[in-house]
Amino acid sequence: MVGVLIRMKLRMLRNSVRGRRAAAVLVGGLFALIAGVGTALVCGLDVGDPEVSVDLTAALLAVWTLGWLFGPLVTGGSDETLQPEHFRLLPIGSTALARGFLAAALVGVAPLATAVALCGLVVQGLRLGPVAAVVAVLAVLLQLAFAVLLSRVVFAGLGAVLRSRRGRDVGVVLAALVGLAFVPVRLAFETLGPVLLHRESPVFSAVLRALPSGWGVVAVHAAGRSDWLLVAAPLAGLAVLVVLLVPAWAGLLRARMTRVASAGGAAVRGGRTDRSGRRSLLPAGPVGAVAAKELRTWRRDARRRVTLVSPLLIGLALPVITTVSSRGAVDAIAFGGLFALGLCCLQAGNLFGFDGTALWQTLVTPGAERADVRGRQLAWLILVSPVAIAAALVLPAVSGDPGVYPWVLGLTPAVLGGSAGVVLLLSTYAAYPVPSQRNGNPFAAGNNPGCAAALRQLVMSLLLLVAAGPVVLIDLVGVLTDLPVLTWLGVLVGVASGVVAARWWGDLAHHRLVARGPELLAVLRTA
Amino acid sequence: MRPGEPVDLPAYGAGAAPDAPALLLTGLCKAFGGNTAVDQVHLAVPRGSFFGLVGPNGAGKTTSLSMAVGLLRPDAGSARIFGVDVWEDPVRAKSLVGVLPDGLALPERLTGRELLTYTGQLRGLDAATVAQRAAELLGVLELDSAERTLVVDYSAGMRKKIGLAAALLHAPKLLVLDEPFEAVDPVSATTIRTILQRFVASGGAVVLSSHVMALVEQLCDHVAVIARGRVVASGPLDQVRGGQSLEATFVDLVGGRVGGQEGLSWLAS
Repeated sequence: MVGVLIRMKLRMLRNSVRGRRAAAVLVGGLFALIAGVGTALVCGLDVGDPEVSVDLTAALLAVWTLGWLFGPLVTGGSDETLQPEHFRLLPIGSTALARGFLAAALVGVAPLATAVALCGLVVQGLRLGPVAAVVAVLAVLLQLAFAVLLSRVVFAGLGAVLRSRRGRDVGVVLAALVGLAFVPVRLAFETLGPVLLHRESPVFSAVLRALPSGWGVVAVHAAGRSDWLLVAAPLAGLAVLVVLLVPAWAGLLRARMTRVASAGGAAVRGGRTDRSGRRSLLPAGPVGAVAAKELRTWRRDARRRVTLVSPLLIGLALPVITTVSSRGAVDAIAFGGLFALGLCCLQAGNLFGFDGTALWQTLVTPGAERADVRGRQLAWLILVSPVAIAAALVLPAVSGDPGVYPWVLGLTPAVLGGSAGVVLLLSTYAAYPVPSQRNGNPFAAGNNPGCAAALRQLVMSLLLLVAAGPVVLIDLVGVLTDLPVLTWLGVLVGVASGVVAARWWGDLAHHRLVARGPELLAVLRTA
Repeated sequence: MRPGEPVDLPAYGAGAAPDAPALLLTGLCKAFGGNTAVDQVHLAVPRGSFFGLVGPNGAGKTTSLSMAVGLLRPDAGSARIFGVDVWEDPVRAKSLVGVLPDGLALPERLTGRELLTYTGQLRGLDAATVAQRAAELLGVLELDSAERTLVVDYSAGMRKKIGLAAALLHAPKLLVLDEPFEAVDPVSATTIRTILQRFVASGGAVVLSSHVMALVEQLCDHVAVIARGRVVASGPLDQVRGGQSLEATFVDLVGGRVGGQEGLSWLAS
């Protein structure tokens, strides 16, 4: 069965990698392989002191193992080429299936790159003698299996949790925290490099070697010294871990195959369904109807919540962290709200993609395109304005420099309006399909390849700068001519340019939807 | 005139010829990549007719219907609804037609009633009318018991029913339904048939696609057979089937050979 699963996975990979996606996969795979070769070279480097070499290798392999744990969160879930659901009706035990899935999981670009990186151990082993080389080969196999299995078990477990509505809200926060983790990671790189090379911290080296990711290199070097106990213990330890993880995964697979995932929000809380008598603050008519639908969808759809809550958390927390860690060099805190708004905008710029093919309804309704665009803009502003305005009112005071108030208060309405325009522009001009809503994993990100994402980011930033331009201009003039009145006038200018940007770009989105609606639907259909 | 009110067709002015067919497809073509999905489709759906579109899987039924209602831009040809060109005057054409597509998403995070309210308001109907029509439709289609269930959690049959309700909400003159009976339970199917028959009896036209010959034979007065992207037969039901069953005619026309008689000897234990 193992052979069948591997062939099936290879065939599915080959069938799914076509056209534009092929380029993205190729570039991503190339980077992964370069990282792998780089790691192997660094590990194989003769740094003189073998102890340093052990620490360095253990550290790098720990990073690769962590990559298996956190990478899927960033890229949107672990590899789902083969899904256990497809095997639900076959007479195969879950342990046998887990073994087969393990073999298939070892096939692919990421495991290949990891295997290449682990080959640094073999290079070291060769230098230490033939026995050490054999030990190294064993260690490579065991560590690869361990990293892949650990990642799979963790995500299978997370997936089980994320299937519940509550669990998904936990997941939203988790995704935000992973985003935040980049900051401590950067700090770690800056401080740990010297610690490693000069062996400044014996505790740190001990921890690196005690982690399973460090066991392989310990064994290889022990083989070089003919210290057989230290060869056998780590290898046996890795083998035991692998053997223990397989049944754990089997259990989680069994749970996944026999339980039905609720698509999310099985019931609407309370009895508040639309009866004719219910009053609403939204305008009556098509625009209000779209806004009401959007607000409900933002509230009820876990994936939409991810796109809004996690950038807000990251956007508000990141400036705080950088300011604290750099001892207040810039007033980053004061502009936290704007930063968060920009991040939200980038994440949310695929509104039609989130809704899948539901766009057809707008297309068959006469004249609904305008209402669809304006209603979505309205709902967006209702959602993000309170946070942005509260941040603009509070954060400058917190930052200890009230002098930035006119700047922040002028930029906030400009960027708010700009964001309402940019989100719709991106959604109509650069939509991409997102996996069906019914599978319910909020981390299923859809195929938005890296380079396309970077381009979107660039366009979005430029457009937001355009919206903010007039405010920046008048505030600069105010500062240069020493006329505070002008900087306060910037607040009015900000409101005006926000309104103009939202209307103008909304109009562009509306015309695009009218002119190319069926083509947009065709793009979303490819999901 | 407010949308959703009974449409006095001649009032639709230029282009809406009073004697134009409910739906007229002329020379529709569509190719995806190198594959021609629809090749010169001509079809005329008379007013007040119950029109069945049948064809094998992948024959181009959905593609043709998508182009007929403005969901897919044709490479060539035109689609006219009561004489109004769907692609040149989409606003007027779309106010005359109610559509139930197959396999497309809905606003999934709404309940059935919220979905109908949203659809009605999007079409510019006033709140009271929407509320009254939505309540009637939910009641007739027996969706009112699932009042608090989001559409994303609906079963396949319930999705068809709520989609049909959304298509009927603005009281269109033409209904274009892609596989309306698929996955619908027999009781609901009878309800839907009755609704559609009443709709036709009161002067509306229905176009539906289906694989189920018996159903088309019972329900429709006109039928078209589409195969490999072309219309191979079209007209009144009795004329198309010419004395034999529609199923036999279909197999003759499509050039299919009914398999299943040979091979598979290992299947008998």
